Amino acid sequence: MSEKLAKFIFWGGTLSSLALFLALTVDTHRQFDALTHADRLDEQVVAGKRAFEKYNCNDCHTILGFGGYYAPDLTRAYTRLGEDAIARRLTAPDVAFADSFRKMPKQNLSQQEIADIVAYLKWVSEIENHDWPPQDSTKRWKRSTENLLASATLSPGAALVKQEDCLACHKLGDAGTAKGPRFEWIGARRSADWIASFLENPEKQAPGAAMPAYSHLSPEQRRLVGEFIVSLAASHGR
Amino acid sequence: MTHKSQSVAYPYFVVSLLLFGLQVLMGLWLATNYFTTIPQSIVDAFPFSTARAFHTNLLVLWLLLGFMGATYYLVPEETNSELYSPKLALVQLGLLAVTGVVALVGFVFGWTQGRPLLEIPRPLDFLVVIGALMFLFNVGMTIIKAKRWTMTQGSLLAGLFFLAILYLFGIPFYRNLSVDWYYWWWVVHLWVEGAWELIAAAMTAYMLMKLTGVERKVVEKWLYVELGLFLFTGIAGTGHHYYWLGAPKYWLAVGGIFSALEPFPILLMVYDTWRDIKHRKEPMRPKLTWVYLVGGVILHFVGAGLFGFAHTLPQINYYTHGSQVTVSHGHLAFYGAYVLLNLTFYYFAIPRIKGFPGFEYDEKTGHTGFWLTALGVLGMSLAFAVAGVLQTYLERVQGQPYMLAAQPIRFWMFIAFVHGLVVVAGVFLTIKHLLTLKPAPSPASA
Repeated sequence: MSEKLAKFIFWGGTLSSLALFLALTVDTHRQFDALTHADRLDEQVVAGKRAFEKYNCNDCHTILGFGGYYAPDLTRAYTRLGEDAIARRLTAPDVAFADSFRKMPKQNLSQQEIADIVAYLKWVSEIENHDWPPQDSTKRWKRSTENLLASATLSPGAALVKQEDCLACHKLGDAGTAKGPRFEWIGARRSADWIASFLENPEKQAPGAAMPAYSHLSPEQRRLVGEFIVSLAASHGR
Repeated sequence: MTHKSQSVAYPYFVVSLLLFGLQVLMGLWLATNYFTTIPQSIVDAFPFSTARAFHTNLLVLWLLLGFMGATYYLVPEETNSELYSPKLALVQLGLLAVTGVVALVGFVFGWTQGRPLLEIPRPLDFLVVIGALMFLFNVGMTIIKAKRWTMTQGSLLAGLFFLAILYLFGIPFYRNLSVDWYYWWWVVHLWVEGAWELIAAAMTAYMLMKLTGVERKVVEKWLYVELGLFLFTGIAGTGHHYYWLGAPKYWLAVGGIFSALEPFPILLMVYDTWRDIKHRKEPMRPKLTWVYLVGGVILHFVGAGLFGFAHTLPQINYYTHGSQVTVSHGHLAFYGAYVLLNLTFYYFAIPRIKGFPGFEYDEKTGHTGFWLTALGVLGMSLAFAVAGVLQTYLERVQGQPYMLAAQPIRFWMFIAFVHGLVVVAGVFLTIKHLLTLKPAPSPASA
């Protein structure tokens, strides 16, 4: 190989790659607003991002898959947990993770900072990023709604969920409200017995949770609800 | 060593080695966090996040100080003139070292920019920029005054110049998280797969020229080709970080294709090294310098090339992104590509700075240090890889919640910790060996 050819490879390779990269960067900027719903990126969301950085959350948690791998990814934390459950973890991590083998530092956030971070995580959860991460895939959440509709007539647990209007606070598939954790996520973590006992007195297992007690249901009914929620976990995986 | 001012590199090497020691100790603590339960009171006082900021910032700081020291060693010889100002070089080292220490103490008290790898608070960023400007000024003036330009120092200087420019993209506050990460990678990816590769290729080429006696013309010709391929694959290859951050879909194709080609320039570097060794005019002594040089080139290929390639395709990365698989690749790549590069340069330059006869040194404990560290890092990376594959399957494919999936991974983090102990032992032996390097015992007394 001649030196001339070597130099040509250097300049040709470098400049062609650079030109492509810069051109795509310009185009990506044109699309960012739509893909990230920049119209919903208000001052509270920005304040949430500042608080998120102030407490160095990102060196334990990943967000959009980047950061520390020590704690759960937060890209879809809002879709998974809902606002009350996020606020509870931020208010008193020592209580929320009392039984966990991994702890979260208690950083004494203000009520305002907590509300800001919730708003920030809500905005992040809506970023269109080709349905990543797979465990929180929106496509899969949607499938579980169909399961609910299909089993509603068959499962007494599902009927109770409807009767008690659980979806006023919880999400299931596409339906419901993100105040509390979504059902599929609970189902993957808890046993039917745990859920039944939780329904009787939430304060016992999750002190500070916004969840009201469902002690008016019979133990049998509470167990049926628990079994139904646990049954949703299967549709979560592949 | 042909010029007196080259010896300014030595204090750079010393400071960087001390920071390296602290970095690996912090690594042990991080691994401990993964397999045991740290009590709430300790977590409140010194959380994992702070320890991680220590571990990664120390890595970056010590590697950069090593690159800068190597540049100060290399440029006088390449320009055939004394350094413009050795005093300024020492002031710069003092400034950067103090900035680093203030940043670390600040982390403990929660003074942070709060973005992974770029935790250094903004006021300190400006001190870093001043340090970088002092460096570029000093080296630039040396070259301008000497009026002697070589390809090797050109590539080294270009690497360091781009490194400084790219750092600026990490300083602003970005309102939009996706835009934030987009430019975060201009610092992180374009450093390690762009600017730093220029530096690594230049330092390797320089050492090969000096150690093998192969002609400059031949070495520099292949350096052009290497660099062309590094930048061709590396720049557009940034796209493999843009798959899932809210960027358009074409990045899946661009990132996938360009980063699939990324192992090739490293393979060429392996081939170059092998060819120069074959055509060498000098004996391969001292042996340890060669063990480092060849070991570095091979592990650069394995860690950065192969381990990187393993999860760079979008179809695989969808499941492995942001898991322990990344940790595995990160550790082996940084060690193979940059840690070994710096250590090789230290073993090359220190005997010359100290004026050992024949540049030979007493290498006994150095070998033990090398093998303990290399095998330790390899074992650790494999343990992380197993943890990563487990996590990928349990969490990403089966859909288990993060903390449930983390339970069986604890064992593999313990295995990583055990290898970490070996690494720490090897690193401390190496540091001690380098800081107390002695001339080779004369044949008569041996």
